[in-house]
Amino acid sequence: MDVVIQIIASGLTLGAMYAVATIGLSLVYGSLNMLNMAHGAILTLGGYICYAAIVHAGLNPALALLAAALVCALVGLLIYFCAALPLLRAENFETNIFIATIGIGSVIENLMLKGFGPYPIPQPLAAGGQVVICNVHIPLQNVFILGVAIVLMVAVAILLQRTSTGRAIRATSMNREAAQLMGVRVGRVYAQVLALSGALAAVSGIMISSIATLTPVMGGDPMLKAFIVCVVAGLGNVYGAVIAAIALGLLEAATQYVLGVRWSFATLLLLVILVLIWRPYGLFGKQQVVRL
Amino acid sequence: MTSIRRDILIGIICLALAAALPLAMPGRYVITQSTLFFIWAIVVVQWNLVLGIGGIFSLAQMALFATGAYATAMLGFYWKVPMLAAIPMAGVVAVAVGMLIGLACLRLRGPYVALLTLAIAQVMYVLIVNDTDCFTTVGGCMPLFGGVRGIGQFGDIGLRALFPSKWYVAHYYAGLALLAVAVTISIVVIRGPLGLAFRALRDNPDYAMSRGISRFKYQLWIFAVSAFFTGIAGGFYAIHFRVVGPTVFSFSTLLFLIAMIVIGGLGSIWGPLLGAAVLMLADEGMRELSDYRNIGLGLLLAVFVIAWPNGLNGWLQRSRTSRN
Repeated sequence: MDVVIQIIASGLTLGAMYAVATIGLSLVYGSLNMLNMAHGAILTLGGYICYAAIVHAGLNPALALLAAALVCALVGLLIYFCAALPLLRAENFETNIFIATIGIGSVIENLMLKGFGPYPIPQPLAAGGQVVICNVHIPLQNVFILGVAIVLMVAVAILLQRTSTGRAIRATSMNREAAQLMGVRVGRVYAQVLALSGALAAVSGIMISSIATLTPVMGGDPMLKAFIVCVVAGLGNVYGAVIAAIALGLLEAATQYVLGVRWSFATLLLLVILVLIWRPYGLFGKQQVVRL
Repeated sequence: MTSIRRDILIGIICLALAAALPLAMPGRYVITQSTLFFIWAIVVVQWNLVLGIGGIFSLAQMALFATGAYATAMLGFYWKVPMLAAIPMAGVVAVAVGMLIGLACLRLRGPYVALLTLAIAQVMYVLIVNDTDCFTTVGGCMPLFGGVRGIGQFGDIGLRALFPSKWYVAHYYAGLALLAVAVTISIVVIRGPLGLAFRALRDNPDYAMSRGISRFKYQLWIFAVSAFFTGIAGGFYAIHFRVVGPTVFSFSTLLFLIAMIVIGGLGSIWGPLLGAAVLMLADEGMRELSDYRNIGLGLLLAVFVIAWPNGLNGWLQRSRTSRN
């Protein structure tokens, strides 16, 4: 019983972090058909900005979180104006933006390597203490992460469902041309989505680094997992992505317990490969039928 | 001049220049770096077949390269297969793996292919690095795939024994010969009926399929063809460096190679070679600033995709047509 609680507790924390990292990716893919390979670097940048704001600038933690989200949202906007906007006018957008964001991600990652050094740094934004449920000690930090993630997901859901901005985002991802004809300013939607995705990445980066440590390359792993979640859910399916993220987090915690940490990532990847072969459009994705 | 004649002419000129290089610049450093250039050029030329001609967004090429390198090393280490036989066998192993990856990607589209192939490469890396159980204890504990340290001591093709003081020149010519064959194959594929079918499937898959071009058949073909030489290049890499480790999976190598293709010109015959040459030279030039190497590479990659999506080759072609 204790083991099950332990697995559920750490699985939910993992799942919550993946979900926050994934929502941004999924929104961006849904509205722009863009796989943002710089997401991992932006996520790491969020962690470092938070660290720098607390340790070097002496901001209080809430402001530091805000600063990180703001900076990463700006990076998202920058990617829109410098890369996505010019590429949208040319052919082969999907391939080109993929390659371009690989380059941008590498630039951000190596700039952080120059600025902060290759050595792991602990994230100062962390809560001490723990709660005890049936003999299982759960760090308070995990509870906080779960809480912040839930608040963020609810906020994003309200944004998508209840505001006109959200309606424009959903309309664009359903049918870009139709949305444009109905007077949705698609360019603005793209910019908003990329900024939102950057801010969410920053928060997930802070969460992940508060459990592990800050290193310039720490974003690669969560990004690959976020992609896995997106792919399993069907690219661009935001709500499916949240469900898949939590399921994957629980699964990862379970495989870590059963098979050991070193095999858990490989197991996850194998699972994704199988899902993709079995259902090429993801578990919740719909197969698109194109008529000639 | 027909395009095929032009290709032959360019090929012969390049080959002659490359063959004369060791006479003009006999320094060991230049020769070994050029050999490395040949290895990367083989991979890039073959990757271009899948990426540029086939339009399949596969990132598995480095995994196939690693398959070739590991297969060569393991055949030599465990079964004492002579290297001259092991390298072609490694090519065949790479073809088998490549066709499996091709099969897995068959029903997928664009970005899903990229993610799936990236995941496959990552699985291979994680499995190799995390394996710490001893498979053999001959000469110390060694996991099946060599773990983090990799595999060494698997034999040689004999060029080192044949030319004790000039072995690196011998390797240079061996690499050049392999590259010449790889480029010839790529020209035959691109200019021939196979290339026509690939381009048709890339540009309008539905129409091509309705005209009876089997996507199944040709996608497996393209993966098989490009995997063979990539595997052989991996084998040659293993021989040249005498050790194979998990560093062949590193992301910066992937970045370096993809930058070569994009900067040279995706989908053209000579573009990837040109890109490989330019980037190897640029890399040498930036050696002093090695800390900034990946920043420079990333910037180059992004700027080229955004500003010149057809690469240097497209730029050359445009300037030629505007002159005529």
